[in-house]
Amino acid sequence: MLKLILSRAAQAIPVLLLVILITFSMVRLAPGGPFDAEKAVSPEVLENLKARYDLDKPFYLQFANYIANAAQGDLGPSFKFPNRSVNEMIASGFPVTLELAAYALLVAISVGLLAGITASLRANTWQDYLPMSAAMLGICLPSFVLGPLLVLLFGIWLEWLPVAGWGVIPGDKILPAITLGLTYAAYVARIVRGSLIETLAQDYIRTAKAKGLKPARIVLRHALPAALTPVVSFLGPAIAGLIAGSFVVETIFQIPGLGRFYIQAAFNRDYTMILGTTIFFSVLIIFFNLLADIVLAWLNPKLRFSGAES
Amino acid sequence: MTLVSPLGDSVNHQTKKPQGHSLWHDARLRLQRNKLAMFGLLFLICLVVIALLTPWIAPYNYDSQNLALGASPPSSKHWFGTDTLGRDQLTRVLFGSRISLMVGFIATSVALIIGVLWGTIAGFSGGKVDAIMMRIVDILYALPFAIFIILLTVIFGRSLLLLFLAIGAVEWMTMARIMRGQTLAIKRQEYVEAALTMGLSRWQIIRRYLIPNALGPIIVYTTLTIPSVILLESFLSFLGLGIQPPQSSWGSLISAGGETMEEYPWLLIFPGITLALTLFSLNFLGDGLRDALDPQSAKD
Repeated sequence: MLKLILSRAAQAIPVLLLVILITFSMVRLAPGGPFDAEKAVSPEVLENLKARYDLDKPFYLQFANYIANAAQGDLGPSFKFPNRSVNEMIASGFPVTLELAAYALLVAISVGLLAGITASLRANTWQDYLPMSAAMLGICLPSFVLGPLLVLLFGIWLEWLPVAGWGVIPGDKILPAITLGLTYAAYVARIVRGSLIETLAQDYIRTAKAKGLKPARIVLRHALPAALTPVVSFLGPAIAGLIAGSFVVETIFQIPGLGRFYIQAAFNRDYTMILGTTIFFSVLIIFFNLLADIVLAWLNPKLRFSGAES
Repeated sequence: MTLVSPLGDSVNHQTKKPQGHSLWHDARLRLQRNKLAMFGLLFLICLVVIALLTPWIAPYNYDSQNLALGASPPSSKHWFGTDTLGRDQLTRVLFGSRISLMVGFIATSVALIIGVLWGTIAGFSGGKVDAIMMRIVDILYALPFAIFIILLTVIFGRSLLLLFLAIGAVEWMTMARIMRGQTLAIKRQEYVEAALTMGLSRWQIIRRYLIPNALGPIIVYTTLTIPSVILLESFLSFLGLGIQPPQSSWGSLISAGGETMEEYPWLLIFPGITLALTLFSLNFLGDGLRDALDPQSAKD
């Protein structure tokens, strides 16, 4: 188990370095310097600016410096707001995004499991078709259509929930969490249904039934853990999607999270902010993929012993 | 799939069996039985035809404004209503569908070409080349791509061409994996070994055995890639990083509609429904094609 974790972690480091190298070169090689578009500045000021952002040094030195600083957790100053560092902006935005993503995952897992279990136990009846059609709808309706429609329905027409904000009015976290989570709930429901139907057809389930176990116990204790493996392997990569989704949801609901900062940085061409945030997101995604791998190994003893090599 | 002898001359044309059912024939029958997939196909055909003819059949000019009218709800003159500048929303949705569909098809083709070549080369080469090539795919899979595309648009500006290339460059990896799997499976077939023994070149084997055999999965996966490409474009345009005004795609229309939905909900609802219906149709058609062309893999 430890060997598996270590080997996966060792694989993650070159990937991360590659991401930083690609992002860094793209930002540095971009046509036009970051100070070109601004009002003309005197040569001395420009020199000072370049020195502050390390732009006067050759590329490999810039890169080495950046890596050295990033390894110590310092992502440098922002281009657009010189008195704020990228670290500060991530520190202020990320907790919000994390909270939003956590609620969304909660929605995704609870709604998805419930719908998937119901559908698989009543396969090919209306209790199967109804949640599965809803799931197809959830997959096809992107968050930037679903979000505004939910706001229109529950916020404006019914006036049940606040239309925007985060932590200002009670209940204003509900719509963003649902908007972000429902697509994943739909995927989870489809995966759980497929995998549970397959598991319920196994011999050991028949044995459990023959032993006279209660149906609820058979499903929850015997079938579900085995059926959850594909859900876990879906959730790891889904984190990447959740982050992209948070861009949209934070824009719709005007939530001051990291995704909204990222989009603003993209509009402002705030290169250091984009660079820092991209690296931060990459670390997150790689970390969650790693976590999913480890949980999978823990759930599935077969992988625990053979997975280290593959 | 055509039956082909190792020497290359097509057999099934000479031996005319009266009740011969080809794989494609069976697949078509299976597809026709799937009502949702047929609905999807019909909707998509209509959509593509309308999108192609839009410059001639659109009821109004694309950017002709009518400030005196302003935003008006759907009426007999303006079926989808008008936006705040008095522009006909139906016309704008139709023109938007041209952009969205074009991005969908072109970016998918880019992904298709890269993916098929990559997967075939990896599968056929085997050994170290295969290991390295597929390792690259594994690594790329782990990257945050929505973020990378945003980065690209920031650095190189927001052009349509870049959008095609960037989205295509992101979506090819699953295709590469599928093609590699197909190549490996076919490489192990005895008739391919026989063909190799008889001195057919790799290229001939790819053309005569691999492509006809892999065509089913390629078609299925292409159909399923188009919606995710359209979604990605709409996502970028919604954030304001994709299609730039005065051009509009569904994503930018939804974004504009979302801003004014309190007063003018129709500006959000119509582009939203059009996008959702298109994604629905493509997904249903893709699922249907998978059931029809590859019955073994259609488990869920």
